[in-house]
Amino acid sequence: MRRWRYRPLQAAAVAALAALITACAAFAPLYYRAMQQSLAEITLDNAPVIGNSLQLTSVPAAGSAEVASVEDIASSVPSGVRDDFRPPILGYTAASAIAPGGPDLPAGDLIWRGGACRHLTFEAGGCPSGPGEIAVSQADVDNFGYDVGSTVKVLGAPTGEAADPPAVALEVVGVYRQRPGDYWLGQTLTGRSGTISPGPPSFLQHDTWITDRETVDGAESQLLVTSSTAGYLLDRDGVGVDELLDLGPAITALHAPGADSADLRVVSGLPELADDVQHQIDQSRVTVPLLLAQLCLLVLVVLWLVLLAMTEQRRPEVALARLHGRGRRGARALLLVELLPITLVSVVPGAVLALLAAWFARAVVLPGEPPFEIGWPFLVAVALSAVVLAVLTVVAVGRVVREPVERLLRRVPPRRTGWSLGVGEALVIAGAGGIVIVFATGGLDGPSALAAPGLLAIVVGLVLAHLTTPTAALVGRRELRRGRVRSGVSVLDAARSPATSRIVAMVTLAAALAVFSADALAVGDRNRTSAAEQEAGAARVADVSGADLTGLRAALDEVDPDGRRVTPVVEILPGSSDAAGTLAVLPESFQRIALFPGGGPSAAQWDRLRAPRTAPIELTGTQLSLDLVDSTLVSERVDGTTTSVTVGVDLVDASGQPLHDSLGKLSGPTQRQRLTRPVDCADGCKLVGIWIGTLPSATVTGSATLQHVTTQPSGDSVAVGPPARWRAFEGEDGNAIEATGGSADSLTVRVDGEGAALLTLQQTWIPTVVPTLVAGALPPDSSGGSYTFAGLDGQAQDARRVGTIDRVPASPANTYVANLETLQRGRAAVSTDRFQVWFADDDPALLARVTKSLEKRGLGVIGSRTLGDVRRGFDESAAAWSLQLAVLVGVAALLIGALVLVVSAVSTWRMRARDLAALRMSGVSARATRSMAVTAQLPALAVGIVAGSLAGLAGAQLALPIVPLFTEDPEVSTLDLSTAWPAVVAATVAVVVVLGLTSLLIGRALAARADLRRLRETL
Amino acid sequence: MTGLRVSTQRLVHIYRSEGHEVAALSGVDLDVAAGEMVGLLGPSGAGKSTLLSLLAGVFRPSAGKVFVGPVELSAASPRQLDELRALEVSLMLQGAGRNLLPYFTPYENVRFAQGAARAAGKQLLEPAEVLGSVGLVAEAHRPLGELSPGHLQLAALAVAMAPQPGLLLADEPTSQLEHRARDLVLERMATLNRELGTTVVLVTHDPDVAAFLPRTITIRDGRVGGEGRSGEEYAVVTPDGFLPLPLHVREDLLPGTLVRFHLVDGSYVLIPEATDPEEGAADE
Repeated sequence: MRRWRYRPLQAAAVAALAALITACAAFAPLYYRAMQQSLAEITLDNAPVIGNSLQLTSVPAAGSAEVASVEDIASSVPSGVRDDFRPPILGYTAASAIAPGGPDLPAGDLIWRGGACRHLTFEAGGCPSGPGEIAVSQADVDNFGYDVGSTVKVLGAPTGEAADPPAVALEVVGVYRQRPGDYWLGQTLTGRSGTISPGPPSFLQHDTWITDRETVDGAESQLLVTSSTAGYLLDRDGVGVDELLDLGPAITALHAPGADSADLRVVSGLPELADDVQHQIDQSRVTVPLLLAQLCLLVLVVLWLVLLAMTEQRRPEVALARLHGRGRRGARALLLVELLPITLVSVVPGAVLALLAAWFARAVVLPGEPPFEIGWPFLVAVALSAVVLAVLTVVAVGRVVREPVERLLRRVPPRRTGWSLGVGEALVIAGAGGIVIVFATGGLDGPSALAAPGLLAIVVGLVLAHLTTPTAALVGRRELRRGRVRSGVSVLDAARSPATSRIVAMVTLAAALAVFSADALAVGDRNRTSAAEQEAGAARVADVSGADLTGLRAALDEVDPDGRRVTPVVEILPGSSDAAGTLAVLPESFQRIALFPGGGPSAAQWDRLRAPRTAPIELTGTQLSLDLVDSTLVSERVDGTTTSVTVGVDLVDASGQPLHDSLGKLSGPTQRQRLTRPVDCADGCKLVGIWIGTLPSATVTGSATLQHVTTQPSGDSVAVGPPARWRAFEGEDGNAIEATGGSADSLTVRVDGEGAALLTLQQTWIPTVVPTLVAGALPPDSSGGSYTFAGLDGQAQDARRVGTIDRVPASPANTYVANLETLQRGRAAVSTDRFQVWFADDDPALLARVTKSLEKRGLGVIGSRTLGDVRRGFDESAAAWSLQLAVLVGVAALLIGALVLVVSAVSTWRMRARDLAALRMSGVSARATRSMAVTAQLPALAVGIVAGSLAGLAGAQLALPIVPLFTEDPEVSTLDLSTAWPAVVAATVAVVVVLGLTSLLIGRALAARADLRRLRETL
Repeated sequence: MTGLRVSTQRLVHIYRSEGHEVAALSGVDLDVAAGEMVGLLGPSGAGKSTLLSLLAGVFRPSAGKVFVGPVELSAASPRQLDELRALEVSLMLQGAGRNLLPYFTPYENVRFAQGAARAAGKQLLEPAEVLGSVGLVAEAHRPLGELSPGHLQLAALAVAMAPQPGLLLADEPTSQLEHRARDLVLERMATLNRELGTTVVLVTHDPDVAAFLPRTITIRDGRVGGEGRSGEEYAVVTPDGFLPLPLHVREDLLPGTLVRFHLVDGSYVLIPEATDPEEGAADE
């Protein structure tokens, strides 16, 4: 103890480092274990009951009417597996078709479930408690009049003797309401009453009836039992990660051929959940060691160097022991008696620290309530730490003890001052460098690769440390030659001190680890954010029921006229699984609201999606009239006889529905003919086409002028001209139609039909080709960027790629983006289109307003997901939790770096203080010596920080590709492993501030102790 | 306990450092009788401390032989050297603090210094007795930081004497002490030498210390340059017949000067060549 008291700071530093090593080593298994438990808990919590339970169902085998008894089914589960579940919920299901049967009489299931009455609420009557008693749903009472006290007759099981199955009378004794809960294992009893089963065969359904066991399993039962079940709910209090991982294969074995009898069906999602958990555990096997191994490496190297410094400081004591004839063994014992207890005793606080850290992680970082477990891996890690610490101490002591007495007696240990490398250094640098090179060239993966960043930092640190002394000596001498005494002496002091090269090496390593950790953490966070944004699409995306696109847009216009907070999106599903879907959006608002991780399309690209600028021809009324003037339109059949020509218009009503209306027929050329027809345009229509029709195969030629186009009852004129607003058509088969003249109010149409039944002059407001932005590939039959896809109405529509984008938010990798405005022109949405509302923020009030506005128009929100929901899914994974360790590693690296400076100062302060006192003795001012003390370590610090930061960056580039960032890689990759510069800069600044401040304080403390009395010290 | 005889034969020691070689000792012949107290004098860099280290077995000589008692140190194994240091040879390093474990009291330091000898079965005085022999009874259990420089040096002496060695080698044992403390240390050393019979060889460049010693050997340029006995200075003839001149004589006889020896009334008279040869011849 007295030895420790003599150098308390040194003892404290070694104790702290030894404790840190133990803490690092022991924390890893604790965190790893807690993470596994959290993972299992969250996985089970998030799974539906059907996924985290086990259900065995027996159905009659072929040629049999019998099902296995529920007790037999329950006992078919091995007892080892049963222990992980609560007592089974047993049940029988029987068919209950109202006699005499038929599609008009309700049929359904009659079930008995053990303990069901505790999970039902009875609106009337009570729970069935005897044979023939049943409880029905309120819907069945309403639909079929099965009041309490009434009797229903259902068809029983067919018997061999009778042609018809017997009728079994059941008495309604209660009206139940199902209480939701896991007990029902996902089964819903109600919701079918009065509906027709999907079939075949289709029949009228009643809800599930509840009965007593005797009804379906009694000796007198005549019902047709269709299945027996045993449902096992997981015992959540007793099932942790180990049990879950064991359950996976055990339940799979129940499924396995041979284990599964012909009439026993096993339903459980537990094998999949176990696989998922196992997969995530496997992933965390990469990240946890990647971070903690390097921290351990850092602390080990720091402790090694600190032990070297301390043992070197004890050279005179070793020499003394040797001079007293104690030999090397005695000298070793002298040092070990002092150092070994410190390192070994520190294992205890280290273990406690690890436990506290694990408790903190369990309570704050990890979700759920993972149990606090101290398993054998923790104990092994503690024991291993103790062994490593002991070995490290013994080796460091042995290094000094082996030196001959003559060298031990020298005040300053002999050091290599030239440029050449020592054998040990060369071996370490070559070994570590070799591993890094092999890793960088892809020749190494797995556990060895995990230490690559740390090894790289060691190589850089050692090389720099080696170069520091001779370089500093050169620089110092040059400064002195130039008359710069202060800086020259400072640098030479640094060159002379063995601590300088150690500081360079250690600060390099600490800075590298801090920067690497910050980068890894930020890259992980950024990628999870990007993946969540890509998957979510926007801050909130709500799915809307119905197919009224106009109503949807109107509802959103009402809530947010500027389109700054909400925007409509229509997902047009592809016709086949290998085709791509189209996202129809309003570019102006969509680009503001949608999330584009990594950057979205440019403004120019969005602009290319713009719809044709032509204004639509709008009309409102219930009747449309026009004068057909100077018509030469004639039509001839193939046999040369004439036939009438039909003139009509294509309209699009306010809801986007197309209207194809005939205005009237012309039997031949005419000077003027008034055509009038009712149209369904009371709420407004757009005139999108004028068509001329005749019989198939008949020709039609001539021209006519449309004048005085008006709507009734308003009598408003419709400006159908000028001709430029109309798109001529000329087919390859000679069929053509064009607007050849006219004014604002009139339009002359010329037609030349060579057998086409209908020739349409299309208004230029209707797009011919839809411009799209394409993510992924075009369809195989595309040509030069032009392709065909299903439009809003499900009909083929020509499209042309006007730009490519990396990905489309919330969409598969292969998706097209089109302007909803363009797609809507002339076409109406169909039920297969998915309507969505994308929100700029996840404000529930906004969602409520949108919902209300939609409901006013007969639409509804059927569900919504937020960016936060999606992000939470990514965050609650082993991959994310593992990366969170980077925070711990980064902070620890920083603190260890500061500790290195303190230890270094503590082990050399007397010598340095004496040197400074000697300078004062020779006339150098106190201010100058203070400045020297403060600045002496700064060059080493600066070199270490710069080199460490660069090594950390390089290490991140090497190691991050092997770090799993997601449980499963997202379908659309947004992976971006580029350097997270803000985090790197922040980490570097933190290193500079913490280490710089520490160095400054040490320098000032040193200067304060450098008074002249120091020169008189003899001890 | 009896003191050990110390002798060297043609002792040469060369320091080698980064390609340079410096001869610290260039053929030292020395003989110190058992129980004798001898001072090694000489200017800085003369090789006094090197010689002391060679006598302690810290260095191995580049050439020549060192005998400490019956043991020829240059041929001794590391184990023999450890045994010798444990039982027979103590080295007091320059600076009291270098001889003491800083976290121990004087008592504990003495006990520590006796450890190896006790382990080898040597019967020793108790630490308190050792400290009493140097007059440090009251300070035996005080932390070293509380002791005066003189007391520290006495503590270092006590540590050196703890295993009751046959040979005590002391490097500048009084260099940082005031006169009173210096005299006290010398007195204690002389007492131990006298009472225990320990051979003492100490290095000093303090004339007052030299005057205190019955015999001094001056090391000059890596050789024995002279010897003083009871205040008289002598030149020492080497085994191969060389005779180093005293310094004051060397100022008169420049290198290259030819001299002759004349026996006059039983004494040799040295006559430089510059003297009249005829006069010399007449004398003959």
